[in-house]
Amino acid sequence: MATVNEVIDTTIDDPGNRTPLVIGGHDYGSITKLVCRINEDKTPIGWYISFAVAASVLGMFFALIGYLVYTGVGVWGNNTPVYWGFPIVNFVFWVGIGHAGTLISAILFIFRQNWRTSINRFAEAMTIFAVCCAGIFPAIHIGRVWVFYWLFPIPSLQLSMWPNFRSPLLWDVFAVSTYATVSVIFWYTGMIPDLATLRDRTDNPILRVVYSILSLGWTGSARAWSRYEKAYTLFAALAAPLVLSVHTIVSFDFAVSQIPGWHTTIFPPYFVAGAVFSGFGMVLTLMVPARQLYGLHDIVTMRHLENVCKILLVTGSMVGYAYAMEFFIAWYGGNLTEKFAFINRAFGPYWWAYFIMVSCNVISPQLFWFKKCRTTPWLMFVISIFVNIGMWFERFVITVTSLARDFLPSSWGMFHPTLVDYGMLIGSFGLFFTLFLLFVRFGPIVAMTEVKSVMPKPYKSPVHDEQHEAEPAVEPA
Amino acid sequence: MAQDSNNSEPKQIGLLVQFDDPDSLLVACDKVRKAGYTKTDAYTPFPLHGIDEALGIKPTKLPWIVLTLGIIGGTVGLLLQYTTNAEFYPFIISAKPRFSLPANIPVIFELTILHSAFAVFFGMLLLNKLPMFSNPLFRVPEFARATDDKFFLAIDVTDDKYKPNKTKEMFEGFVGQTGVIDVFEDPSPNELPVVIKYIGICLAVAAIIPPLILWSALNSTSGAPRINPIRDMDIQLRADTQTQSTEFQGRPSVFPDGRAMRPRIPGTVARGEWTDPVLLTGIVPETAEKNVIFLQDEEPAKENAEKPAEEPKAEDKPAADKPAEEKPADAKPMDEKPADAKPEEAKPEEGAAPTPPAEPEPNWVKFVPIEVTSETIKRGQNRFNIYCSVCHGYAGEGDGLVSRRAFELIDQATPGMAWLPPTNLHTDAVIQQPDGKIFHTITHGIRKMKGYGDQIPPEDRWAIVTYVRALQKTRTGTPDEIPAIKMKELELKGQ
Repeated sequence: MATVNEVIDTTIDDPGNRTPLVIGGHDYGSITKLVCRINEDKTPIGWYISFAVAASVLGMFFALIGYLVYTGVGVWGNNTPVYWGFPIVNFVFWVGIGHAGTLISAILFIFRQNWRTSINRFAEAMTIFAVCCAGIFPAIHIGRVWVFYWLFPIPSLQLSMWPNFRSPLLWDVFAVSTYATVSVIFWYTGMIPDLATLRDRTDNPILRVVYSILSLGWTGSARAWSRYEKAYTLFAALAAPLVLSVHTIVSFDFAVSQIPGWHTTIFPPYFVAGAVFSGFGMVLTLMVPARQLYGLHDIVTMRHLENVCKILLVTGSMVGYAYAMEFFIAWYGGNLTEKFAFINRAFGPYWWAYFIMVSCNVISPQLFWFKKCRTTPWLMFVISIFVNIGMWFERFVITVTSLARDFLPSSWGMFHPTLVDYGMLIGSFGLFFTLFLLFVRFGPIVAMTEVKSVMPKPYKSPVHDEQHEAEPAVEPA
Repeated sequence: MAQDSNNSEPKQIGLLVQFDDPDSLLVACDKVRKAGYTKTDAYTPFPLHGIDEALGIKPTKLPWIVLTLGIIGGTVGLLLQYTTNAEFYPFIISAKPRFSLPANIPVIFELTILHSAFAVFFGMLLLNKLPMFSNPLFRVPEFARATDDKFFLAIDVTDDKYKPNKTKEMFEGFVGQTGVIDVFEDPSPNELPVVIKYIGICLAVAAIIPPLILWSALNSTSGAPRINPIRDMDIQLRADTQTQSTEFQGRPSVFPDGRAMRPRIPGTVARGEWTDPVLLTGIVPETAEKNVIFLQDEEPAKENAEKPAEEPKAEDKPAADKPAEEKPADAKPMDEKPADAKPEEAKPEEGAAPTPPAEPEPNWVKFVPIEVTSETIKRGQNRFNIYCSVCHGYAGEGDGLVSRRAFELIDQATPGMAWLPPTNLHTDAVIQQPDGKIFHTITHGIRKMKGYGDQIPPEDRWAIVTYVRALQKTRTGTPDEIPAIKMKELELKGQ
């Protein structure tokens, strides 16, 4: 396999000469083996080490949440006038990352981008776990966590009242919970056939029972496949507008308010572009090492990585356009506070955050104009890290700078994050990576069935020789 | 695991043929369909293009289920928001409408997607009869590769066209087939093990109990307080009415002595609460200890007033407010009452049994308890002219504008008109009143005069008292009372 990999240049973009999506002369059985090996082989020591680190960071995260719930939100740096500090920054950051998976599964599916099959499972898992991280922050941000259910329209004897459906924060509750639910069932639906493969291969009796239950008795019946494919298409058609709506609604949390710097109509598309950008950045961050560690070069070829880089370049430039347009409108709109807000963003006390944001989000992806950068995994990895950092700072800049200096100079103030703030930011990565490592260990990280259906035909069928002689063609159009 | 073919007569339920490549399977499917078989199915590791046509699979009705559920979801979203926000708990914000669609679109959209997604997922599972954990096919060892790299075609023995040998022959004749396998019925009993059955029944019964408890609780009344898992500040130490705080529901008492509030320590006053009772009421309290009670405004003043009343000096000026002399002839009905009432009040001793018990006079403050300067009098003049002069007149003679207008109306013989003129402040009765009593009159009113305690702060009321005294002095004063220097000044001015 390795030799073939070196010979074939998978990044040729000439339509007639494109290489297949799976290289290395695989057949169906070897694809199954290649992917299932990750789950079936002995767990590498590196996994245990990573898991131990991630799980202890997760433990710290839960301990900090416990401390927060027990003590109160005063343990954070949120205070007048910056009431939305790290928790909301982290929330928007994680929700943004959670957009790539469904985007790859749904929108690229609708656009018939078959290369998505190699990375979609991976990205969907990332989505789910990022949404888990995102969901925690608004939940603990409400202060009295134990009455979080007041967010939902549940008849309550205690309150005798109902949530205000005209509030963007309530839209957010619906959008994020719908997104989490739909992403989970979409992801799970996609996994059913692969879980059945794992079920049929495993020798471990416990895992066999677990996989049997999770795969729901899937047999691969043609009639089931027919409905399954229809269901998958419907899911994609539903999830595509959903994925756009979620970050739109998240942006409404800001845009519907009147704070200068937030109250702009560019926010929904700008947030969605930023979300796709950060999501693909995280896909790259995870995919490059995983491809290396698990030897998935034949399935996740350089062409796949290059495509992700191109998307990063496009969305990064869109984000850069949005930054520029915000400034233009602030000047062109003639609103003094708006103008001040943007000058303050770039040259005020938080200028450093603004310039980290611009250099990471707008400048670093421009390297992807060069093919060399698009085809060098370690460089991609480094840039993807910059993208993650930049996108976190984007949310920080939006949230904190606007609140710190609004209309009245008398109400200005700086934001001072506490150790708990930093701990929770790091801790959320612990949650993310713990879940992700568990998935990598026990779940099918590549959509085997989908890869098999887009890979080059690995066989020479005996029927074709015969058909030429006797039978009329039966191959349907 | 399952080579049960040599078991005691396992019933064959189907025939399976295996292929190594999908194209051979498609050709075979086509042949089987053309041969008229209908109870057929193919098993592949991934969805095959063209197998629907080859096998004659009808399009699924899943999209219709999703459409229906999607519409229901949108409707639910709309109705949920309308009922909760416009009917049950309307948010009234300025003059905005109770319900406006644009703000409700996001939630409608999300619920539409949510319901549709559930419809897709559960609809797909339902149509595919999943989950189905027991399947005779799973007993075929070769079938494990149906999810890996092998392709299978199956025919059910209940198919009308099925003939044991003929069908098998046909299967064996397929190009590319790599094995024909008989599928047998699962020999394990279909019945659930008895233990599982009983456990299931027990669990089901147990599961019904909580809803039943809830149901019975909903349909009954109870004196016990509601169970409140999140207490917040609902439950605090307190003394409920008609209960002893020590005993109530086992809660600890607020204070060991059973009280819910601490009594004030005699002689102390809470910060910011002190106001001189004399200043506030115009009545000198009997003892200093009683001061604390005076803090609660005028009500305790009455209680306290009873004691000084026993003292004879309080009865010095019994007929304090009798304007009887001044009443005009027309005002009969009104003036009769005060005229009658006052003498009764004045001489409680001689009153006959039916007369109401006399209201004893309290211990009035003799002199204004605030520092009196010319500013005070000017302030009093200012307040007097605002509040008092409309009735009493600028000079206090009881000829204010209101009174004059009333007489005008009487002169015009307006029907039903009666008027009791305001008191002339220059009458002896008023002159002889102690300052405290005048203050009390301003504060609480008298007869048809309303009280001004709510409108005029105590210091201003005292200032008015000083001004009233000044007015009176204009009639009763003698040149001797003018200080020599002032007299000189006046003389210089030529008066």
